[in-house]
Amino acid sequence: MSTPGRRAGLVPRHPVAALMLVLVTALVAACSGASGGANASLTPVFVEAVTQPPLGSRETAYDPPRPSPSLRLTDGDGRPFDLASLQGGPVFVYFGYTHCPDVCPTTLADVREGIRRAGVDARVVFVTIDPARDDAPAMKQYAGFYGPGFIGLTGTAAQIAQAASTWGVSYTQLSSDSAGGYAMAHSTDTYLVDASGELRHHIFFGAGADLIAKLLLEVARP
Amino acid sequence: MTPPSQREERPLHTGNRANRTSRVIARLAPVLAAVVLVAACSGGSSSGVTITDPWVRTSPVVAGAGAGYMVIANTGSVPDALLGGTSDIARAVEVHETVAMPASAEPSASGAMDGGMASPAASGGAMTGGTMMGMQKVDRLEIPAGGSVELKPGSYHLMLIDLTRELKAGETIEVTLEFERAGDVKVSLPVRDQ
Repeated sequence: MSTPGRRAGLVPRHPVAALMLVLVTALVAACSGASGGANASLTPVFVEAVTQPPLGSRETAYDPPRPSPSLRLTDGDGRPFDLASLQGGPVFVYFGYTHCPDVCPTTLADVREGIRRAGVDARVVFVTIDPARDDAPAMKQYAGFYGPGFIGLTGTAAQIAQAASTWGVSYTQLSSDSAGGYAMAHSTDTYLVDASGELRHHIFFGAGADLIAKLLLEVARP
Repeated sequence: MTPPSQREERPLHTGNRANRTSRVIARLAPVLAAVVLVAACSGGSSSGVTITDPWVRTSPVVAGAGAGYMVIANTGSVPDALLGGTSDIARAVEVHETVAMPASAEPSASGAMDGGMASPAASGGAMTGGTMMGMQKVDRLEIPAGGSVELKPGSYHLMLIDLTRELKAGETIEVTLEFERAGDVKVSLPVRDQ
């Protein structure tokens, strides 16, 4: 290509044209990633659906079932709430916080979808472990976003600590330089309580809607 | 490309017409350059970074933050890095990573996977620990040369901080990602429940 005898045919004689050719070549190379795999630049390298990673264990059954711990806090309307009042139907219990962008919405969306697939009337109780930011109105809005079967609970810091301890839930505040303020680290498991108020399953993060639907159908079966 | 032999022959046969043609091409060169550049840069790829399967999860405003996911491939031969971004629908856009961390209380005592682990009432209501998941800001997410990084639930994600409005299923939001080498890359993210 750079052989003197062939240059006349490949490179424009006009200096401006020659300069433009060089610029275009360089810029096209830059824009298309030609320095590496140029042939891959116009087609996606990875085309794959977002799927749940394979996890060794996605849930643990309580066998035999055992009575659910108590849960008495404040609902989204600021009224006292007792989990026992939901006996008669299956209930999912999950501890999280509203400023949680990844883990909590992933879990709540899976639970909602699992309930939909199972076609079973179930309730979801979402307990904040960040009562400093999650007051009753915030919990009402947040739970309401997920649907009428969702109930948001809050309380004083001491009440939340007591409830979490009773349920075996750990949480702690993390310092962060994020513009979103502090984050919370917390246990991310979901508990499935049956219609008689007995604990039946302890479902791990990432279990997915299909497994949740399957467990709910088993629990709801008379 | 045209074989060199033809190129060399052409001036001999076409004479002045070829000179005129080359002058026209020279004048048009800037226009051609612009056209080629726009064609090269307007696709989904820019400077070797390709975004695949982007989406953002539905979220109420009260949540404070939404999460965006995608696969970022680097087709170049040098590493690049995702630094953050901007969007009209959020006050700030950051990269965060969800990470597992041991619970503070009795991290090992409840480790048995026999049905009693980290279970409410398993030990008279004691806090049994287990694993927690937390989140940390990532200032620089490297995308290796010729490789890719997946932003997905429970892992890396774009954190859309202080949403200006609810993210509703079926909508599409625009985010401009900031890369260390590729610079600004605009991405359209459909809003989905999951």
